[in-house]
Formats: sequence, structure tokens, C-alpha cells
Amino acid sequence: MTTAQHAQPISLLLDPATVQSIADEVWPSLVGDGEAFVPVPVAPPAEVVSAWVDIVGPWTGSVVLTCSPATARALTENVLMTRPPAVVDDEDVADALGELANVLGGNIKSVLPGESRLGLPRVGTAPPRGRLDDVCALAGQWRGDFLTITVQGTAPHPSGTEVPQ
Amino acid sequence: MRALVIDDSRAMRRIVGTILTDFGYEVREAGDGRQALDVLEEGWTPDLCCIDWNMPVMDGLQFVFAVRATPAYRQVTLMMVTTESETGQIVKALAAGAHEYLIKPFTADALRDKLALLGLLPEEVTA
Repeated sequence: MTTAQHAQPISLLLDPATVQSIADEVWPSLVGDGEAFVPVPVAPPAEVVSAWVDIVGPWTGSVVLTCSPATARALTENVLMTRPPAVVDDEDVADALGELANVLGGNIKSVLPGESRLGLPRVGTAPPRGRLDDVCALAGQWRGDFLTITVQGTAPHPSGTEVPQ
Repeated sequence: MRALVIDDSRAMRRIVGTILTDFGYEVREAGDGRQALDVLEEGWTPDLCCIDWNMPVMDGLQFVFAVRATPAYRQVTLMMVTTESETGQIVKALAAGAHEYLIKPFTADALRDKLALLGLLPEEVTA
């Protein structure tokens, strides 16, 4: 039986260098030519927003992209190729940030062992993390602003059983 | 030529749609497989459908099955454009009737190469 509690932790399945190599493909394609996720951490902002997709399979968890609301808006403007005076709204931000998480998550899923399912993207407050060793986090920046990509196991349900997917 | 871009992400629809428009395509969009079938049932028959896999309501694979089950749409070329990159998923989509498979993230050049392979690149772009 493979559950979040019994599966190998993500730290044994994936390393930050692999996540970086996936980000290296995603950024120029979705965010724009010459754009890059730079794996040099900067101080986190006071307020953050996250987009994530769930992976359900031999390993179960989420791929979470977290940044400040201002960075999310700037990323959206790039993804949508909007130019002033055009403005992006909250729905655009949720959509674009969600799609970035979706493409990151889909490519991360493909390097995990076994057959897994990818959920639809969600945006808001990141889901809680599971075991401490079931996290592969890549802290970095885009255009000097805080951004992290976190691959994290599902937190166990308070009753001790898994949350139904 | 006509293309129907089917993706639940507006951002991705815009990206794919912009590239195809630059190639000279007339483009329409749908947010899921059901909406895409509605477009086909209107009588707007595309030469090409670019289809995301994971979508609410009706996913891309269900859409491919639905189109392939309808003889009137036999001439429509179906290309999956998705993050689902495992061999098993690709085989599943091709077996269902998809003609080509493009994995996200992709570049405009990669899409252009796929269209050339399918014989769906307008002459003015090929030249």
C-alpha cells in the first residue's frame, strides 16, 4: 500500500537541481524570452500568494509556487504579454499563476516514479506541509523579487488518516 | 486555416492562440472539452484542435474520444498540448485518435515544427 505516510519522501525522489532545470524550461517559454527563475534566495515579503497543483500517486503531495501579490501580478503581465495601459485583474492573476504551477507540476510529476494524476491548479494560501523530510524547496527570485517552488508531501489528516482526494 | 484552442487556462489559450494567429490561422477558443464540442456542433469545423489534457467538465482525452466517435469530424487534426509527458499518457492519447503531442512548456518553433509535420503550416509561413 502506498500512502503519503508510507511512500518514499520527496527528498529521496527529487532534488532542487531537477526542479531548477524544469524552471529553466518553463520561464522562457511561459514568462518570456530571456526570463529566468534565479535560485538565489531573497527575503520573503510580508504578504504572499501561492498557486499549486496536487499530485496523487505513489508519492502524494503538491507543487507550490509562492510569491508576493505584486510579483504575481508582474508574472501575469508577462505571461499574458499585456502592455500599459492594459491591466490584469485578479482572475488573470489566478489563471496565469495557476498555469505556471500547472506546467511546473506536470513536469515534476513526469520525473517521479510510477503513474500519478495531476490535479487542477488552485490559488490562495498554500496547503500545509507534511513530514519535515517530505519537502523539496527551491528558494529563489525573479527580477530580484522573492519566489519559491516547493514540492511538499500532503499533511496527515488530524485523525491520522489521509485526506480523501 | 482554422484552429480551435481548448484549454482551461486563459493564459495558455492566449499564448497558443497568438502563435497560431501569427501563422495565419483563424482561431477560436474553448475552456473545456464540452465547450469545444459546442463549437463543433455550431458547424465551425477547424482544421486543427490544440487540446489540453487536464480540464474540468470534460478533459482532453474525453474530447478526443468524442470527436473520433463522430464521422463528421473525421478530417479534424487533433494535437494534445499538455504537461502530461509520460510515455503511457502519450500512447493513450494517440491510441484514442490524437495525431500529435506537444508537451508544455513549448516554444513557438516547437509548435511550428509539429504543424509542419502535420502538413498544417500555411505556405506563407513555410516559405
